[in-house]
Amino acid sequence: MVKPRVLAVGAAAALGAVLAGCGATAATKGPLVVAGVIAITGTSSFEGSNQYDGIPPAIYEINHDGGVLGHKLVFKGVDTRGDPADALPAVQQLLATSNNLVAVAGPDTGSAPTIVPVLNSAHIPMMAVAGESVYDHNTAPYFWRLFAPDSANGIAMGLWAKQKSFTRVAAVFATDPGSQGDLPGVLASLKALHIQLVANISLTPDQSSYQSSVSQLIQAHPDVIMTESDGGTAGTFFGELKSLGGLVPIIGTLATYTPPWLTAVQSAIGAADMRQDYAGLITAPSKPTAAVTAWDQAVKGAKSKLPVSVHAAQNNPFGVTYYDGMIAVALAMVAAKSTNPVDFNKKIASVCNPGPGKKVVYSFAQGVAALKAGKQISYFGATGLIKFDKYHNSFGGMEAVTSSASGSTIKLGSVSVASIEAVHVKGVA
Amino acid sequence: MGQLLASSADGIVVAAILAVAAMGFTLQFGLTNVINLSFGAVMTIGGFTAYLANVAHLNAWLGMLLGGVAGAVATVALGRGVLRLYARRRTQLFEMMMVTLGMGLVIDYGLQAISQNAIYGYTVLRGAPLRMGPIAVTPIEVGIIVMALVILVAAEAALKFTKLGKALRATAVEPSLARSCGIQTGRVVLITWTVSGFLCGIAGVVYIISTQSVDYSTGELFLPLVIAAAILGGVGSIRGAVVASLVMGLVTEIVAGYGGAAYSTVAGFAILVVVLLVRPGSVSGGAEDRQLVL
Repeated sequence: MVKPRVLAVGAAAALGAVLAGCGATAATKGPLVVAGVIAITGTSSFEGSNQYDGIPPAIYEINHDGGVLGHKLVFKGVDTRGDPADALPAVQQLLATSNNLVAVAGPDTGSAPTIVPVLNSAHIPMMAVAGESVYDHNTAPYFWRLFAPDSANGIAMGLWAKQKSFTRVAAVFATDPGSQGDLPGVLASLKALHIQLVANISLTPDQSSYQSSVSQLIQAHPDVIMTESDGGTAGTFFGELKSLGGLVPIIGTLATYTPPWLTAVQSAIGAADMRQDYAGLITAPSKPTAAVTAWDQAVKGAKSKLPVSVHAAQNNPFGVTYYDGMIAVALAMVAAKSTNPVDFNKKIASVCNPGPGKKVVYSFAQGVAALKAGKQISYFGATGLIKFDKYHNSFGGMEAVTSSASGSTIKLGSVSVASIEAVHVKGVA
Repeated sequence: MGQLLASSADGIVVAAILAVAAMGFTLQFGLTNVINLSFGAVMTIGGFTAYLANVAHLNAWLGMLLGGVAGAVATVALGRGVLRLYARRRTQLFEMMMVTLGMGLVIDYGLQAISQNAIYGYTVLRGAPLRMGPIAVTPIEVGIIVMALVILVAAEAALKFTKLGKALRATAVEPSLARSCGIQTGRVVLITWTVSGFLCGIAGVVYIISTQSVDYSTGELFLPLVIAAAILGGVGSIRGAVVASLVMGLVTEIVAGYGGAAYSTVAGFAILVVVLLVRPGSVSGGAEDRQLVL
């Protein structure tokens, strides 16, 4: 018969083992969890689905090339619904149930203010797409952003409008958190650049018609529209705008330069008008490099895990950003020789930022080989040069692009980082 | 004044789209007492069917008809193939509602997988707008309004003047008494599912003609408005559903027209809240006391 005291000691030991397993450190060679804390459902799901497209290719490439220190990576989806109230319990559940969680892709704009402190306290590195300018001077050590802040997007849109001599802007943004996140930056930049805002129209997503809003816009006589919404909403709105003869040039945020938005709007207004009137402001894409080739191959390798076509995923600016983020995290683990986030988080900037004597690598496999050879590395991503500042932000210049009927990117012009930084906006959260 | 006229015209267009769906929803709800939350998913099936017909270069009106047929087939399959099984196990109203919600999600996410989560453009029957002062409507929008009116008149006439309509009303009021009077209630229910499903499919097509695109969530996003209009109009009342659609359409578009687009849906649902507060009995129609008729 087992004595109660022995039983208690045994139970305590078992409990201790379980609790130890619940820590962030991955002590075994079991799989490591990479979570996508993104809006899988809800009104911001159009952004979440764009962001998701980058994660399976990164996991595919890393696992295909041997994994991280002998561990395979696995994906776990966490649905924020773009809403902090839904995101918080979902993330708390993630932390409680995933003992080998090493990194998070996310959170998004809507849920970041609630989720960033939670993940930061749990010592989980996050590659966020949160555009809030509060993160321009981020102090959370586990927060990383490979993405232009909303204010920079807004300024770039304003500067592009100025380059094109537009003087009367109508802002048309959907009411979902993701779209609204960009609006303050746009409005502030218009003010700073002395461009007149003639209408500010909010669209409730997925309505059967927006004719009253279209009429309101036409009466304001804008010479350009600045916009962000999901594809379905945009298709309906711009289709009705064209039907009523009010179509004017459109400047879209990065979120508009995604296959669902482009497909819906192109169907609604026609390829010719799309080519003539639409410009999307996106993070300047990298010139063709080995990193872009690696990204393209990774997308092909992960195609069975993607809800969209290979072509659509390869041209998804959100997806490629997350891909770079996850590759950087994996290389940081290899560089730190540890899967403990407390150890490898410090290495994320050092495996990316350029520096004297560093070997430039363009893929996970190249990075691992160089690190094994005892070299310091600088990961040059599929998005281009990655250079994190002291606030853990890295973004480059912006480029105005449009889409051909076949879906190819056509460059219209560029907006440099220097010109964006020269514009000082006030009051952008 | 010009803005009011323009917004009112837009509101009537929205109301017509809503009315087609709400009539189908309330017809089936009024008879079977099932709050069919898979209605939106079936609308999406109708929409995708019309889209595929368009891809196959079929006439747009034929596409609409096929969308209606697809909606009818899906609804009958759901009603006879799934819901009746649950009804035989004495499933209650709320549980049945959850079954329809589950079926709706199965359809939605099935379509999401098949459609690769993409949005497909559907730009048919577009034409230059007809203008009368501040009012501008496209020919297809006029067509949708006419269609809604034709369905209203036909449904009201059928319910009032045909044997089937009388049988349907009798079954809705007291199914056991209707059966004892020789009415084949099973046949009445089957026909109601078919007609409701057909209108649901047509509504899906009409909706995507207006939005000019279709994706897996198309109908689901429209469903709250459909249910609101059906409830506001009084359960089982075709005429009520149309009037409620008109009220909701006008309110949402007038609010949007005066710069409150972000609050237009809020205003529409605020009406429902007020009606629930003032006339709570008119909403349920005593449905909570009734049995499922399947």
